[in-house]
Amino acid sequence: MATISDTVGTRVRHHDAIDKVTGGRGYPVNVNLAGMLHGRMLRSPYAHARIVRMDIDEAKALAGVRAILTPDDVPQVKYSPIYFMPTEGLACIQDMTLMGRIVRHVGQPVAAIAADTMEIAEQAAQLIDVEYEELPAVLTVEDAMADGAPAIHDYTSGNVAVDETFETGDPDAGFAAADHVFEQTYETQRINVCALEPHVCVADVDVYGNVTIHSSMQHLFGLREKLAFVLGLPVSKVKVVKPPYIGGGFGGKLDITPIEPLSALLSMETNRPVRMALSRSEEFVTSNKCPIRIRLKTGVKSDGTITVREASSLLDAGAYATHGSTVIMVHGLFGYCFTYKCPNRRWHGRSVHTNNVTSGGFRGYGGPQASFAVEQQIDEICEKLELDPVEFRIRNSHSEGDDHPFFDGSFTTYRFHECLRKGAARIGWSDRKAPGSDPRPVKTGIGLGCAVTWTSNCTAQPDLYEHSGAFIKLNPDGSADIASAAIDIGCGQNTIFCQIVAAELGIPVDMVRMSSADTSNVPFDAPMHASRGTNAVGATVKAAAADAKDQLFRVAGTMLDASPDDLDARDGRVFVKGAEVVSVSIAEVAARADSPLVTMTRQGPQPDATPYRGTIIGSAAMNPAVSPIPAGAMFVEVAVNTDTGEVRVLRAVYAHDIGRVINPAGAEGQVEGGLQQGIGYTLMEHTQFDPETGACLSGDFLDYKMPTAVEMPSKIECIFIESDDPNGPFGAKSLSECCLIAPPGAIANAIYNATGARIRELPITPEKILRALGRL
Amino acid sequence: MKQKVTITVNGEPTELWAAPHETLLETLRNEMHLVGAKQGCDTGGCGCCTVLIDGQSRYSCMTYTVTLNGRNITSVEGLADNGELDAVQQAFVDTGAVQCGYCTCGMIMAAKHLLSVNPKPSDREIRKGLSGNLCRCTGYHKIVEAVRVASGQHEAS
Repeated sequence: MATISDTVGTRVRHHDAIDKVTGGRGYPVNVNLAGMLHGRMLRSPYAHARIVRMDIDEAKALAGVRAILTPDDVPQVKYSPIYFMPTEGLACIQDMTLMGRIVRHVGQPVAAIAADTMEIAEQAAQLIDVEYEELPAVLTVEDAMADGAPAIHDYTSGNVAVDETFETGDPDAGFAAADHVFEQTYETQRINVCALEPHVCVADVDVYGNVTIHSSMQHLFGLREKLAFVLGLPVSKVKVVKPPYIGGGFGGKLDITPIEPLSALLSMETNRPVRMALSRSEEFVTSNKCPIRIRLKTGVKSDGTITVREASSLLDAGAYATHGSTVIMVHGLFGYCFTYKCPNRRWHGRSVHTNNVTSGGFRGYGGPQASFAVEQQIDEICEKLELDPVEFRIRNSHSEGDDHPFFDGSFTTYRFHECLRKGAARIGWSDRKAPGSDPRPVKTGIGLGCAVTWTSNCTAQPDLYEHSGAFIKLNPDGSADIASAAIDIGCGQNTIFCQIVAAELGIPVDMVRMSSADTSNVPFDAPMHASRGTNAVGATVKAAAADAKDQLFRVAGTMLDASPDDLDARDGRVFVKGAEVVSVSIAEVAARADSPLVTMTRQGPQPDATPYRGTIIGSAAMNPAVSPIPAGAMFVEVAVNTDTGEVRVLRAVYAHDIGRVINPAGAEGQVEGGLQQGIGYTLMEHTQFDPETGACLSGDFLDYKMPTAVEMPSKIECIFIESDDPNGPFGAKSLSECCLIAPPGAIANAIYNATGARIRELPITPEKILRALGRL
Repeated sequence: MKQKVTITVNGEPTELWAAPHETLLETLRNEMHLVGAKQGCDTGGCGCCTVLIDGQSRYSCMTYTVTLNGRNITSVEGLADNGELDAVQQAFVDTGAVQCGYCTCGMIMAAKHLLSVNPKPSDREIRKGLSGNLCRCTGYHKIVEAVRVASGQHEAS
């Protein structure tokens, strides 16, 4: 039987693993309703154009075509698709329309068809005749900002969607105080999220005009709010059904895509359920990480103390502002100001419209881009000043107990220095060779990179949703059901929530289940984003379980003739503290609460004295008090073939302080998966577009390369330095995004250590390495 | 024009009519309601749709159903025996190799094929054997471990 100590911190098998290994029926991609039609979009071949005329007659005449929508048939309301900010949020740039008459990137939808089969819908799309007037397009940030560049939107000046600066201390004095100033430019590319389940939804509109929608997304209530806004409906007319799980999120499903409103409109038009799914090639023009160019200038004293940091960041937002307008802020504020202490700072960030695809959200949300610059420059500084990179980072970073540099509160737990020291010891840091000194043609090297941003949720950020709600219901068999809008996007959230509830209630973890939910029957929950699941939702389900436990003890008190204050629960039983033999099973208590007014006994029906009658339900709705601060340092060993330029990651050691680890297997999975994305981001992945036309050149997995099992190292070592953070459930902080923020800098530094070639532009391809070595 | 095809799916002889361009993935998912094989790309790039055809791992999205007359198809639904998981399935559960799970069924079928031709594969051989299947969640680490455990070479931790 489970106790707190063997529920939390245990490698509990994933809640839904048996379902997933036998077929995995719970994905939104499997939703199949009676009479369901299939939707398809027609997309623009031009990067910038005005639709002059559309002829849909021939398409409409095709047998099996049930409805066609053109820009004339859809609401022209402007919106921001991002789920985590309210529509009226101050930072929301509302520049997107569902299908407008101006197209601003290749692949923008211009028409939508519903038909009996996908095949017919595709045929119909080809029969739609669209006449475009091509407009001048700009495909680089430089061209977009040049004098006289065509305006992509009418609300901007020089196509700049966001232009923000901040300054702390006195940067000029910081440069004056510096013995050395380092200034470099770092460039990061556009990569695709590549969740293996593509975006998919099924919308079904009933005779009262209520929209029910199933979708592969990261936020039930965000989809409800945005869909209602785009369609001009009250939110109560939209019901979003929670999928048991989705096939990966990674931040790529944090915004409404055209398919949800289009399928709802097609369903209204046809009175049939309508399914729409993106093909993989459509995914490549939908969910891409923001490319950012960074100019980073840092002043240091000869002893290695940072005196000033100045950065400017230029982000290619693409056709619509959306995540590009928020990633730039997270990137600037979190990326340059958190991990390393610095009294004087200046940052300038711009997010610029181009006629490229719209940039989106992806794990780390601006952090990996900053980390690539910051972590490499630290090593460049250390080499020049002959300082040890581990000691430099320790000297310039925060310690447990320090005040938070920006927000109220302090570093309640923070073991960054220990992460650095333990990771360094494990990888063999002290035996590291001088850069490029390996005489062999295949040179090995070791590099270090740290997570420069801290995310456990978004508390203290303006305008961002962060609150959660949950219900816990006890059943007469002693089991508990959780009802929550928080979605398991693949990280094992459902398992962790079950562990937390089991530990709080004192029941075995297999007696807790995540139940079904939709937006009409559970409280609001913020998106599954910002590494918040374990910390923020976990705290909420724990509070709801504690509420249920209070009621459990009130009923149990009448059965044990004890005060509820004297009771505790463990192993599925409620007992009197200090007299554990006086106990009753949780099943009996829950059954008593649910029972009718009499209890059957051997002596016949007896009046039931329980004054508390009714199902035991705990609830909680709360906002996390703070965002607890995780820490991460990653060490990596690479081998670089100096004849071919090929890089292999041989070994990775990640040391993290994430507070208490709730599920070690799940936490390791985050680290290992983050490394796959990190290796892809650093060495291979690049969503590429034709520089003349803006058309996607890497629209499938043959042209877009991400790491397979062969490219991954067989040695991935996770070190968790545990602490009990007072602001997390059972002491837990957060992890997910750290795992992708650290790798780009670590791998780039390892390549430098192996070869002596410093590459400041992602991805670090064999061509770039050979060029840097003078061999190409 | 649909053509008649006779195939055996998970041990059951099945007669069906398929259009010339209908893929096995479409047949399994849409006609037979076997949803273990997943659609991830439709271009033979991700491996989510992997099944066994006469014991060989194949992308069902790249295989036309009409070409399969007389062939034996095994999908993930055909592995568990009376509710008892196959050794590979069990190892995926035990090692924590399942995260979002979208690649899992295809990955398991690729592993089944690998272990049928190489019962004790090395780390390198496992990785090569799974290299036609993409995963975005796990970094493949625990998937490789699962295959090792299923081959009896390593105990689940």
